Amino acid sequence: MASIIKVIGNVRRIISHNNGIIGSFLKMFRHDDLKWGTLVGEDKYGNKYYENNYYFFGKNRWVSYPQSSGFDFDASEIPPEWHRWMHYMTDDPPTKVPLPQRKWMADHTMNLTGTSREYVPYSTTRPKIQSWVPPKSSD
Amino acid sequence: MLRLWPLRQVAKVQNVLGGLTQIATKSTQPAPAPELVEVFIDDKQVFVEPGTTVLQACAVAGVEIPRFCYHDRLSIAGNCRMCLVEVERSPKPVASCAMPVMKGMKVKTDSPMTRKAREGVMEFLLMNHPLDCPICDQGGECDLQDQSMAFGSDRSRFTDNAFTGKRAVEDKNIGPLIKTIMTRCIQCTRCIRFASEIAGVDDLGTSGRGTDMQVGTYVEKMFKSELSGNVIDLCPVGALTSKPYAFTARPWEIRKVESIDVMDAVGSNIVVGMRTNEVMRVLPRVNEDINEEWISDKTRFAYDGLKRQRLTTPFINVDGQLVPTDWETAFVKVAEKVKKVDPKLIAGVAGSTADAEAMVCLKDMINRLGGELLCTEDSFPLNRSGIDFRSNYIFNTTIGGIEQADVVLLIGTNPRLEAPLINARIRKTWIHSEVCVGVLGAPVDLSYEYQYLGDSFIVLKDLAAGTHPMCKALASANKPMIILGTDCLQGTENGVIYNAVKDIAERLRKNLKHKDWKIFNLLQKNASQVGALDLGYQPGVSGLKALQAELIFLLGADAGTVSKDKINPSSSVIYIGHHGDYGAQIADVVLPAAAYTEKDAIYVNTEGRVQLARQAVNPPGMARHDWKIIRALSEILGVALPYDKLADVRARLGEISPTFDQPGQVNESGFEAQAYQLQTEIKDPIVNVNTAISPTMLKLKDFYMTDPISRASLTMAKCIQACKESEKNPYSKQEAKA
Repeated sequence: MASIIKVIGNVRRIISHNNGIIGSFLKMFRHDDLKWGTLVGEDKYGNKYYENNYYFFGKNRWVSYPQSSGFDFDASEIPPEWHRWMHYMTDDPPTKVPLPQRKWMADHTMNLTGTSREYVPYSTTRPKIQSWVPPKSSD
Repeated sequence: MLRLWPLRQVAKVQNVLGGLTQIATKSTQPAPAPELVEVFIDDKQVFVEPGTTVLQACAVAGVEIPRFCYHDRLSIAGNCRMCLVEVERSPKPVASCAMPVMKGMKVKTDSPMTRKAREGVMEFLLMNHPLDCPICDQGGECDLQDQSMAFGSDRSRFTDNAFTGKRAVEDKNIGPLIKTIMTRCIQCTRCIRFASEIAGVDDLGTSGRGTDMQVGTYVEKMFKSELSGNVIDLCPVGALTSKPYAFTARPWEIRKVESIDVMDAVGSNIVVGMRTNEVMRVLPRVNEDINEEWISDKTRFAYDGLKRQRLTTPFINVDGQLVPTDWETAFVKVAEKVKKVDPKLIAGVAGSTADAEAMVCLKDMINRLGGELLCTEDSFPLNRSGIDFRSNYIFNTTIGGIEQADVVLLIGTNPRLEAPLINARIRKTWIHSEVCVGVLGAPVDLSYEYQYLGDSFIVLKDLAAGTHPMCKALASANKPMIILGTDCLQGTENGVIYNAVKDIAERLRKNLKHKDWKIFNLLQKNASQVGALDLGYQPGVSGLKALQAELIFLLGADAGTVSKDKINPSSSVIYIGHHGDYGAQIADVVLPAAAYTEKDAIYVNTEGRVQLARQAVNPPGMARHDWKIIRALSEILGVALPYDKLADVRARLGEISPTFDQPGQVNESGFEAQAYQLQTEIKDPIVNVNTAISPTMLKLKDFYMTDPISRASLTMAKCIQACKESEKNPYSKQEAKA
């Protein structure tokens, strides 16, 4: 009996945490997961980081990608400082212990492979066949 | 100088004398056929003709004797000593390549004495041969490498080399085609013998003796021959290798595809060496009827033209500028153009390297659309029996038949540059028999002596009338040959020249002892010409102007005979071909097609021999096979051709002319009398031709660039450059002024 009450309590918390029934449905639709937890922080890209130690280790920290990422979100959107926390390299989130900023540090970019902006290496070998280029018309 | 027939005359006299003495001793029996000589090779009995060498007798017995200097088609030098064998009752081992067989000779090819002799020779050869096989282009196909493994010793007694070093020889610069690394030379003299016997250019020789002996040109000059590349194949070591091929591939990486050459109308048999979808080199393939085992330099070295200036995407003309596009757009554009014009004003022109399949597809498509005019670039007189008889436009004697001829009359042709292998055959005949060659045309260097008759039409008229002194030689000949070039048939008066030549041939034919001997030969220049005429194409593009054609399909027509000023200026041009050359420049739509190494195709050579070229590599980029392009286009134009496979197209070819079903064969063409009869029925007044009867290719530098492939080739450009420089070289033999 007690467990049923616990489950109902969890469901209520989840629904309230995810902005009602419609919000929960959209969350489930987008992330395939529904959890409740405390908001640990948000990075400048709009990723929100949550933690709830009620869930088992490995599932107790998660990220919610910004709406702008749509359904095409990717784990590489997490910047390195949050990556440390997400992967349990540290228990201190960068909101609490910010990483030292060096002037040579580049801005984080996600892995663009598979998108239109992906990096394509160019061939350094000369083409085997040299194509004809029609002469420019004089007029 | 090199003619062997005087020697043969002496031999004949000796034979007759021998016969006389035989008859005297052996009463009145008729002279018997030459008796076969019995010899024993490793105790195996074989019968060979008298006069064959021990080496050849061993080959009959199935024993291969190692050799470096001996070559079937060259004279015997006997200087490499590798072919030493033991002969019973002979105190020393004998050089088998130079030793004629004798009755009852017992040859031991694997005795301790023979083996010791071979090991000794090999030891001497390797004493001064550099051990650079890993960086040598001959590695893997080197006779010295192979034979040292098979017959050499495992060590050398020449330990001095460690201190003194090996003999080193300076490399020679003999032109842009042949790379020389003379330290590797073993002085077999094959290249020297090839140059003086086959090529007829006495440029190579030896200087010095003993260790100081060197092969070279003595003074630095270009090895100026149209057959020079063959010394690369002949060289048993890596002393002479191909310059364009240097360090590009190894023989074991190369896949070999047996194909046909299209640089001239001879149709030389070639092996295309292919690796990673790239043509690496072209080598000759033995075909005794056509090219023996030689190929011309254009055939061998123009392959780099296949990688330059290629059409890899369709183009359409937008506001006077050709822009790349895709196949669909290009096809739709063609369809629009075809819709706009009167179908009767659609014409097609086949270029010099068009294959028979593409030509039959184009012809069928245009005929189905309603057009009738299909022509080739090379002109030919049509005023008489014209192309109705095959014997009028092919090389009737056949290339192998040249060797039987006793008088050859060359009219308006320079076979040395138009068909180097036919010229090599004439030279071979000239060396081995008493053939008399007469030349009417430009006084060019043909590599053999000839009687020059002049270049005016009057001489031809005299010959036709039988008043010229040469006529006596022709009339008394058993097997005369007349070779007419196509260059003199390009003008408007071509019919007169052609008729005069036919008159000479017909008079000779009537008095011929050998009734099946063919006299008249036309030496074509284009690989496609005979095939096109067999398929019913009209020779010459003059019809385009007469028809005022509105839409012209060019099938690789790049000779410049179709240009904007020679055709209706409002007409559209659709070019199907493989190189961006004259044709593509004037085109409104360009459809990229395959070159000869990129398709399975049929070519008909000047003899009328149908030959199959095989695909070695894929067409580059978006280029497709010619016949497939036309087949696809026909579907868009609503006149789908009824064949889907190459076999169907070939069946269609066979329907048109059964010769296409017999690859590799020459069908004798008859009806010469009828052809001539038709000719005489319409009698033209003999008008005078004022222009000189002359071929267009006069000097070696004219030889290298004749078709879109060789025009795109850098190697060929270097050859022309080298020829021009060699003209300034005071030591280089100057070609006859024309």
